[in-house]
Amino acid sequence: MCGILGLFTLTGVQPPPETFAAALERLKLRGPDDSGTWRDECVLLGHRRLAIVDLSPTGHQPMESSDRRYVIVFNGEIYNHRELRPRLNPRGGWRGTSDTETLIEAYRTWGVECLKHINGMFAFAIWDRTERTLFVARDRMGVKPLYYSDRNGSFGFGSRPGALSMLVGDGALEIDPEALRVFLELGYIPAPLSFHQDIHKLPAGHYLLVNARGIRRVRYWDYRSIKPDLSMNSRPEGELVEELDALIQSAVKIRLMADVPLGAFLSGGVDSALVVAAMKGAGVGHPKTFTIGFTEEAYNEGPAAAKAARYLGVDHIHETLDVNSLLELLPTYIQEYDEPFADSSAFPTMAVARLARRHVTVALSGDGADELFGGYHYYPLIDRLAPMLGWRAGTRRSAGRLFNSLPWHRTKLLASALQCSDVVGLFHFLRSVGKDYAPLVNPDVLQTTANSESWFAQFATGLAVDLSASENAMRLDAGLTLPDLFLQKVDIATMAYSLEARCPMTDYRLVEWSMRLPIQYKVRHGETKYLLKKVLSKYLPADCVYRPKMGFAVPLAQWLRGPLRAWAEELIHDDALMSRLPLDKARVRDLLRQQLEGDRESHPLLWSVLMLLCFVQNHAERRAMPVMAYREVA
Amino acid sequence: MTESPPSAPRVLFLFTEVFANGGIQRFNQTILDASTSLGIHCRVLSLNDSPASAASHPEHHTLSVVGFSGNRRRFALAVAGELLQGRYDRVLIGHVNLLLLATAILALRPFSRAPTMLVAHGIEVWSGIGSTRRYALSRIDRILCVSHYTRRRILEQAPALAPGRLVIFPNALANTWGRVVTVPSARILPAHFILSVTRLDRGDRYKGIATVIEAFSMLADDSLHYCIVGHGNDLPFLQLVAERCGVTDRVHFMHGISDSELIVLYQKCTAFVLPSGKEGFGIVFLEAMFFGAPVIAAEEKGALDVVRDGETGLSVRFGDTIAIKEAIERMQSDLGLREHVRANGHSLVVEDGPFTFAGFTRRCAEVFEVGEATAA
Repeated sequence: MCGILGLFTLTGVQPPPETFAAALERLKLRGPDDSGTWRDECVLLGHRRLAIVDLSPTGHQPMESSDRRYVIVFNGEIYNHRELRPRLNPRGGWRGTSDTETLIEAYRTWGVECLKHINGMFAFAIWDRTERTLFVARDRMGVKPLYYSDRNGSFGFGSRPGALSMLVGDGALEIDPEALRVFLELGYIPAPLSFHQDIHKLPAGHYLLVNARGIRRVRYWDYRSIKPDLSMNSRPEGELVEELDALIQSAVKIRLMADVPLGAFLSGGVDSALVVAAMKGAGVGHPKTFTIGFTEEAYNEGPAAAKAARYLGVDHIHETLDVNSLLELLPTYIQEYDEPFADSSAFPTMAVARLARRHVTVALSGDGADELFGGYHYYPLIDRLAPMLGWRAGTRRSAGRLFNSLPWHRTKLLASALQCSDVVGLFHFLRSVGKDYAPLVNPDVLQTTANSESWFAQFATGLAVDLSASENAMRLDAGLTLPDLFLQKVDIATMAYSLEARCPMTDYRLVEWSMRLPIQYKVRHGETKYLLKKVLSKYLPADCVYRPKMGFAVPLAQWLRGPLRAWAEELIHDDALMSRLPLDKARVRDLLRQQLEGDRESHPLLWSVLMLLCFVQNHAERRAMPVMAYREVA
Repeated sequence: MTESPPSAPRVLFLFTEVFANGGIQRFNQTILDASTSLGIHCRVLSLNDSPASAASHPEHHTLSVVGFSGNRRRFALAVAGELLQGRYDRVLIGHVNLLLLATAILALRPFSRAPTMLVAHGIEVWSGIGSTRRYALSRIDRILCVSHYTRRRILEQAPALAPGRLVIFPNALANTWGRVVTVPSARILPAHFILSVTRLDRGDRYKGIATVIEAFSMLADDSLHYCIVGHGNDLPFLQLVAERCGVTDRVHFMHGISDSELIVLYQKCTAFVLPSGKEGFGIVFLEAMFFGAPVIAAEEKGALDVVRDGETGLSVRFGDTIAIKEAIERMQSDLGLREHVRANGHSLVVEDGPFTFAGFTRRCAEVFEVGEATAA
């Protein structure tokens, strides 16, 4: 893990060195081991290094190519870089053993086609001094973040928006109203949006070419349109189990490349156990594994993880916390997630990252498997609901009225689901955390911006035809939820403790294979991750494999009524703070009141509002307050 | 049983619609034109046409169509009246949605039923054939499938049907296109552009227009434009996609285009791009080919019968924006390939090509069993 930052300007006007240094300093936790800068008359490049591969000075960045034509700053790992080296021929031979050197020589040899050859997680920028073109790329599944900005004739990029805004906007950029709206609906901000109006996330699987002619954004890899291979249905199941197991083994094995201590997160779930089993299979004798358990039984996966660890024969390190102790991480959470982020599972993720960093520098995680192999509870649900979309409009309206008149929350949700126009709308409805966000938001914002469903719809236009509703949902999750919610959560939580997380399940070979896998091997008779569990059954007994999914949950509703109550009330009743956002104060306060009095469980949306307020407050303290000019709601 | 057909058979056509711009409507127009040219006595009942519909399509002035303006009850009564009189040599059901009505009425005349045919187009028969429809299909003498994919999907859903009763009956270029006279247009066209012609309704997102916009935005050549001919309720979404891709200044949504202007667009475009995922046949590909446009399509469904990759066009995986981008780049840069697929595509719709009006008329003569003397 590293941090990168850079600026390309045609005007020749560059920020003062101290401004660049201060912005780069914001990335220090991403790379505490080394830092470097490089500049010419057009470009400024900066790098913070967490040394993982080739700890020597030959891995220092920014790095020039062997012919000195190209200069690179790179965050991530190229797992197959040793395989690529024999195909490359650096002028004067290899200087060191780093994947950075391999990557820049790959670009020198293949140009943008190098992206087809490399397998890894990455965000990097390469400056071509001859063509005066900047090449910026993000990995296929979006494991590593990359933000960019095109403003006032300057193109900036960086690993985090906080550092980038210091570079291109003096820290004072305006809030993007569409991002704000999307955030309230989803609890995170999907690419290419970012919370700042002039900053964008580079979507996963894309690169940019930036030169005097402008910016061109190109998708270089796309799994969306891969069709399920129905011939796999006629193959023996055992054969598929072995094939998937081999793919996981390979994905894990190449991710063991490191010159520093390496371990893995181990929850009580299927995905992390598979990763650890594959580590053992790859010859790691007793890998260190890490789990956070809680004293509260409802949140405690500790015993399940310990049981799996015993069967797998690993060096298991376990820490049990009082769930309320996670609250001590709140300031770090607000500081490090430097755009609003409302997934509260970031707390336990940070806790386990903190634990792991005491022992290792790299940790493998199982993220990605749920989206690729059908792990979420709503996949079977969406298949059950989708046929209702085929009902006549009148029938749907009548049924909706009926369900809405019933006193139960679930029937009211069903009534709303019936109003969705298609599978994408239904998925969006199920996925959104702030279903009733609209009354909170200034009508101007609602009228002048698109909602998040339009982003889902745009992404869905590239999905293969004839997929089932749940297959559509999985692909939408893999493209829109995984990169900018779950993978970013892991990236930032681990970054906060200078730990590098690697996610074997996002290996592109595994992703493409999963797209070809027919649906009945993902969700069968309501059983999620059908085939993945069959693979794990090779390594663990059934009671470890077929246990209810728990996930990293925290008691947010209880927190808001208890230890966080005063904090929440103070934020929401801060008139000055509230007036900086286009929100209806009275309705937001009513939302809090309902939550506190137990009238209604609206903590996901409330948490999003609180995260927004924290973000604005945090910026205010740094005298870089984003303000929105919208008329106040009466 | 039915009497031997006279030299000029009487055929009852039951259609959902004739005078509109969709693929099914164009098929209906073409089969009526062909039948008329064969001397067949055509009686046409159309559910959704209005009495004024035909008047708005002077190019089909020879067709006599009784329209019911969407009134299902009146249409059903009229169909019953015509079928029960039993004065037709053939009955052609133009859409699977009319299948149950027609077969139910025909069941009332079990011993004097005219040979009955169904035209199976695309998406509406690719799924949803339950037991009732399966039974109704079993009562049909011939099922005219517009593509091999359609035939395969019906047989998969109704395996008891005798395969011999399902014949491939592809669409053809309408006879009227050859008669359109191009006139100069005041519309200023970009020097270089790719073209799509399609409906732009929300329910038609499978046409792939949004993916073409995304692919288009990735091209290095920023002198290229994209003209999209069509209209529908999804226009705001597509405009939003163009805006998000940063190409609003080079994407042109056009509607109200005359046939004459459309021909010019076909003739001048760098490529006709319609990577549709659910095209029943894709008559619009034939139009593009007829006027010399090299075609890029998706390797899906009915389009497979018309667009063979590297031969009569370029085929890409549906939804694959990278493949669409690369196909457009190939059409721009490889002039040899462009000319090769353009010429081969054109050959499909001229002279002895399989999708000419003359060929279509011959297929009509076969299924309606029109004697050569009559056909002449």
